Order: sequence, then structure tokens, then C-alpha cells
Amino acid sequence: MITTRSLRDRILDPSESALAWALLTPALLFIAVIVAYPVVTLLINSFFDIRLSRGLPTSFIGFDNYAAALHDSMFWRAVKNTLIITFVTVPGALVVGLGLAMLANMPFRFRGPIRLALLLPWALPLAFVGLIFAWFFHSEYGIINDIIRRFGGEPQIWFNSPRLTMMAICIATIWKTSSFMALILLAGLQTIPASLYEAAEVDGASKWTQFVEITLPLLVPSMLVALIFRTLTAIQSFDIPFSMPGPGEETQTLAMYIQLNTVDYLDLGYGSTLAVFMFLLSMATTWVYLRYVRGDKD
Amino acid sequence: MSAELNNFFTAKRLRWFAAAIVLVNGFFPAVWILFTSLKNEVELTAKPITYWPQNPVLTNYVAAFRDQPLPGYLLNSVIVATLSMLLALFISTLAAYAIARLNLKRRNLILTGIIAVSMFPLVTLMVPLFEIMRGLNLLNTYTALVLPYTVLNLPICTLVLVSFFQDIPRDIENAAMIDGCTRLGALWHVVMPLAAPGVFTAGILAFVNAWDEFLLSMSMNAAVAYRTLPVGIQMYQGEFSFPWPTISAALVIALVPVVTVILIFQERVVSGLTSGGLKG
Repeated sequence: MITTRSLRDRILDPSESALAWALLTPALLFIAVIVAYPVVTLLINSFFDIRLSRGLPTSFIGFDNYAAALHDSMFWRAVKNTLIITFVTVPGALVVGLGLAMLANMPFRFRGPIRLALLLPWALPLAFVGLIFAWFFHSEYGIINDIIRRFGGEPQIWFNSPRLTMMAICIATIWKTSSFMALILLAGLQTIPASLYEAAEVDGASKWTQFVEITLPLLVPSMLVALIFRTLTAIQSFDIPFSMPGPGEETQTLAMYIQLNTVDYLDLGYGSTLAVFMFLLSMATTWVYLRYVRGDKD
Repeated sequence: MSAELNNFFTAKRLRWFAAAIVLVNGFFPAVWILFTSLKNEVELTAKPITYWPQNPVLTNYVAAFRDQPLPGYLLNSVIVATLSMLLALFISTLAAYAIARLNLKRRNLILTGIIAVSMFPLVTLMVPLFEIMRGLNLLNTYTALVLPYTVLNLPICTLVLVSFFQDIPRDIENAAMIDGCTRLGALWHVVMPLAAPGVFTAGILAFVNAWDEFLLSMSMNAAVAYRTLPVGIQMYQGEFSFPWPTISAALVIALVPVVTVILIFQERVVSGLTSGGLKG
């Protein structure tokens, strides 16, 4: 039956695969111009001295940009800050998101407001979240210091210390990203059949055992996909650290440093080299996750 | 758990408690910004700080419109997000149809290739894109943002649409073609209306993604006339001043469109966000 149908399809339209390629052309064209060509240009640029502000012609300098980056303490600081944000906020968002998903998965009568409460942080632009949390952490009139005062603690001048600024950035990032994580995990939770828990209940398993033995393992597939994307975006952190600046440029991330070199200094060669490093970081991350996914299936 | 604790955590109380945590976590920042935007200068600098605004004023909203061209920023954001959404929908509909339906070799490889686009950090593309747009004299134009945002949204739109197209029975399409429709005619008249929820979902995700983007927008369109909201909002701060009430008022206004969109379409948004997660 299936073969006759596809045969009839082909008789109706003999050039079907030509049509398929025609329909794919716009997408492939866009990807070629906006992704593939820039990636190639990026690699090439990273071997050149392209400082537009100097007005001198472009010159080939081999690996000089790379060598310069490896000796650039601002580059290493930016990498360090980016990695701190990644290693703190990715697990942080997973834990908070899992908590929110478990809470939201309780049998409520009014699901609408709960769902909206998870959607709102997702829909808020990161740049807004940065500003809002900068206001929360304001040394004089911020609510965080107000709460600290009320509990008799010592209020902090958050944005005067790189450490405290990084903490504030991580808290803002976790708040913003955990709700997306919660939505994904909530959908995962809802696919777990209730009968599994009922059976565990009969066997006398505690709530905690049920969580560890049933909930967590069955959530792993939804977690992995969410984690890959969360990690990749954490490596690109820009909006929130940019809106919550610490003293000097102490809390600059790699993305901020790339932007500074490219747009402000118009040093396209060095900016490209820095971007290649970020690219490598992203590829390495994807590779680690994919390896883990594949390892899991063996 | 002790008996006392068990008594306190009755199922109903626990549910209310859980709901309160989720609601406060989600809404508090927006509510706090709303409160701040209604406070006057005196109240804002009062110590200890007040929570509920004592004498709500609207002067900060007046200032938000006076100090920066806020309606212009809003308009730019709407134009850029809408155009890139429509373009992304059009392109990904064609691609998704080819992948889901037509006689195509290596369809999975092509789909994976399109999804892999989302692995490329936007920051790394920014450097060459900045150079390209600069060379083509396209800095400070809508085009400079619409084109990259379209590509940014291709992976998620294609993924959502492929899964919707696959759920539509082939027989309906074949019947239309036997009745004299061409392939593309069947796509437009038969498949698209049936896949409308998917198109909607993909469209909302594309819109919100473009609406949120900050880095490219700031780098490509620095001129006032082409600034989008996330960039424009940052402009209220002077070198030494940070007019928080005005910024809060501007943020509240900026939040209205997105909150409206998710209020109306929340089911679609959730199904779109989770379809990617569950299929992977």
C-alpha cells in the first residue's frame, strides 16, 4: 500500500526531489551567507592584522593574534569569568529549575498563573533582567541590602567588589534561566506514568527513593537537551554581565571582551581570534555532551 | 519527619506553599519594578526603603517618554521582531515541508545541519557580520538585524514545523493533488491551515527571540533612530547618574507587549518550548 502511494506521488510529480531542493534553497542560502561565510571569514581574519582605526592596509601576521591572546591577561580574566558563570549558573539553573518544576507539578486547581510565573522570566529580555537585578543589588536603596539589614546583617556595596558582582550576576542568570529549565523538566515530569509511583508506593519506597529511582533517571533525556543549550548560552554570557558592571572591567566576560575589541577598538583581527577561542569552547562543550549522550546509549 | 512537621505540612498547605514559591519567584522582579516606577524621588531615597508605594505618582512615566524616544525604540523592536519572524517562518516552512514530506535523500542529515546552526555562538558571528554590514553600508538599518535574526530562528522554527507537518496525514494532501492541486498548492491550501498551531508556535518563539536580542542590536544599530528596546533601555543611564525610577517606568512599558503575547498564547509557547526538549 505504502509503495503504491509513493509510486503514485512520483507519477504525479516526477521532479519531487528537485522541488525539495528548491524549497531548501532559501534556508541553505541564508545559512551560507549569515553563518558559513562569516565562520570562514572569522578564521581567515584571525591570521591578519586588521585594525581599522589605524587606517593601514591589512597584513598577514600568522599566529601573532593567537600568541597575543595567550599573553593577554584581560583575555584570561574574561575566560575565567565566563567559566565561573558557566560552572555556577548551569548546575544552579538545573537545581532551581528542577525544584520549580516539582513544585509546579503539584495538583493545583489554577494552572494558568503558575505557568505564567514560569514563562515570565523566560520572556524577559536578558538585558532587562540585568538592569532589574542591578537595582535589587543597589547598595543604598536595593531590596537585597534592605533584607540583609532587617536580619541584622552587614549591607554590601555589591558592585564595588568583583567577587560580589560575580555573585549578583550568577544569581540574576540563574533566576532568568531556571524557569526555562523548569518548563522543559515539567513537560518531562508529566510524561512519567503515575503507575510507576503507585507501584513504588506499594513496594513501600519512600518519597526520596521514588525521586532518586524513578523521577531523576526518567528526566535525564529532557535534562540533557536543556543542559546543552543552557551551557552554550552561558559561554556566550553578555547581556547580564554587561548590565551589571563591577569595578573597572574586572567582571568582563569573553563575549564582552570580543565586543569591545571589535566594535569599540575596531580591531577585527584580534576580535576574530578571540571569537575563534569562544568557538572552540562551544565545540568542546557540545562534543563533551554528545559523547556523554552516546556513552549513555551504549 | 516528625509528627508535628507532618501535621504542619498537610497536603493542602504544602500545595499553597509550593504555589506561593513559584508565583513569587516568577512575578516578584516585575512587581518590584512596577512599585519602583510609581515612587517619587523622596520616597525612593527614604530609609529604610518602602515596599508598597506610599503616594503613587506617574511622573516617572512622563520622564521615561521625555528622556528617550521610547515609542521609537518600541517601534523598532516591533518592526525588527515582526519582519524577522515572518521571514524565518516563510523560509523554515519551505525547508520543513521538504524535509518532512518530499522525496529527499539524507533528510535527517539536512535537519541536523539546520539545527546545528544554533550551536554557533552569535558573538563569534558578530565580528564578521559587523564587517560585512559595515562593508555593505548596512550598519544602522533594519536589514542588519532582520537577516541575522532570521537565521538565528531557523533551527527552532524548522524543528517545530517538521514535527507538525509529520503529524498531518498524507492522504489529505494526496486527495488535494488528485483534485488538481500542485504540490505547493496543497502545501498552501491544505497543509498550512492544518499546521496553523505549529506555525503559530514557531512564530511566537521567533518573535520573542528577536525581541530579546541585545548584543547584535547594540553592535550593528548604535544610532538612536534604529535602536531596539533592550539597547534603548540602557540609554537612560548617564555617565554618573542612574535614574532608577525612570528606568523602571520604561521597563514596565517595555514589558507590556511581551507579557500580553505570552498571556494570550501561553499554551502555544509552552508546547513550542517543550517540543524541542522532548524530541531530542
